[in-house]
Amino acid sequence: MLHRTEAIILKTMPFSEADLIVSALTLEYGLVKTFAKSSRKTKSRFGSSLEPLTYVRTSFWGKEDAALPRLTQADIIRPFQKIRDRMACFFRVMEIVELTLGFLIEREVQRDVFHLLLSILMKIEDEGPANDRDVLNTLLYKIRFLDAVGYGPRLEGCARCGGSGYNFYIAQGSILCGACAKGMDSPVRLSPGMIKSYGTLRSWEVSKSARIRLSRTLLAELSDMLDAHIRYTIAKPLKTKAFQPS
Amino acid sequence: MTLGIIENLINELMRLPGIGRKTAQRLTFFILTMPDEEARSVARAIDEVKEKARFCSQCFNITDAEVCDICRDERRDRKRICVVEEPSNILVIERAKFYRGLYHVLLGAISPIDGITPEKLKIDELVQRVQANGVEEVILATNPNTKGEVTAQYIRERLNAFPVQVTRIAYGLPMGSDIEFADEVTLGKALEGRRRM
Repeated sequence: MLHRTEAIILKTMPFSEADLIVSALTLEYGLVKTFAKSSRKTKSRFGSSLEPLTYVRTSFWGKEDAALPRLTQADIIRPFQKIRDRMACFFRVMEIVELTLGFLIEREVQRDVFHLLLSILMKIEDEGPANDRDVLNTLLYKIRFLDAVGYGPRLEGCARCGGSGYNFYIAQGSILCGACAKGMDSPVRLSPGMIKSYGTLRSWEVSKSARIRLSRTLLAELSDMLDAHIRYTIAKPLKTKAFQPS
Repeated sequence: MTLGIIENLINELMRLPGIGRKTAQRLTFFILTMPDEEARSVARAIDEVKEKARFCSQCFNITDAEVCDICRDERRDRKRICVVEEPSNILVIERAKFYRGLYHVLLGAISPIDGITPEKLKIDELVQRVQANGVEEVILATNPNTKGEVTAQYIRERLNAFPVQVTRIAYGLPMGSDIEFADEVTLGKALEGRRRM
């Protein structure tokens, strides 16, 4: 059966002499792995369409439950080449790609995540080279993505009683008040500004997020909290973290 | 028992890339019909390559000596280093008979998603070579894909501190192809890198 869908290429892995295994987030089928025959050859019909981050219109052939359907076509809609041309920006974007690959289950339709990733990539490329904007846009993706897959941290008051508090417990993935946190390990103290910024990033429309301005201190605090939360949730640090300036 | 030996050879040959069961069977029965000395010679060659093959201490090409043939060759242009990802890339460039300088093999390419950091590649060794040997040009011939491109960008930044010309192999359309079938990124790069005639 032939499947046609839009997709964002997330990762490719060399296979055999000149083939690739392509992991892509598709609009209609969620995360899909396909087999692209002879795609590494100089005169391959796929050209540069299978480079990471490329937004493509794809066709793949295989039975409904085929583990590795065959990729038959990939036409570029938007290459996102400017992101790949900026090394620091590319490293940041690969962090959200690794996050996406780490949380999504194959063949589970995730239209919201697809649109979110596409809009964030467009924002990053359109806003041009600005390190702080790259940090903010990748943070925006992480927050929205974790919410979409049901792993977002809860920062709007104590997760148990609803009371106020600023102590974030990584193992609980939430803020807990003093009474509810009795006997628990030492928390991370969050600033009121960070909690407010987190709420803003969660609720504002992605298209309007260009108006959000956060200080470097707040960006760093948000990044640290989210990284700790992700590391705990997936029980390992992201490999791409090694490419970020400490 | 004899079938066990044959099955064993089939299974061993199937470990090689691009060799499935049918090809492995064909090779096994071909080996059976080969003259004894020829078959043993194949086995000896595999044994020898596994025993003696090592990386050149200067360029990390594969060799059976401390320094590879290319690095030892006095006739080669020692002011130029061509940087490639894998030793197999050297064979391809040598086959083109266009380049007479030295090489440096990185043994991979930077890949954030696979956790391959610059420290895991032979980039520090390249910087040391450039610093110590008065190299005038470093040609970055990493693959024209995202990993190769990021690696080239990283090396260019590392070499910025030295008085060396850093060049990148040209991008463009493969010879014999039709412009009609080129994708926008390849065509864009080809136009960007156009030259006066």
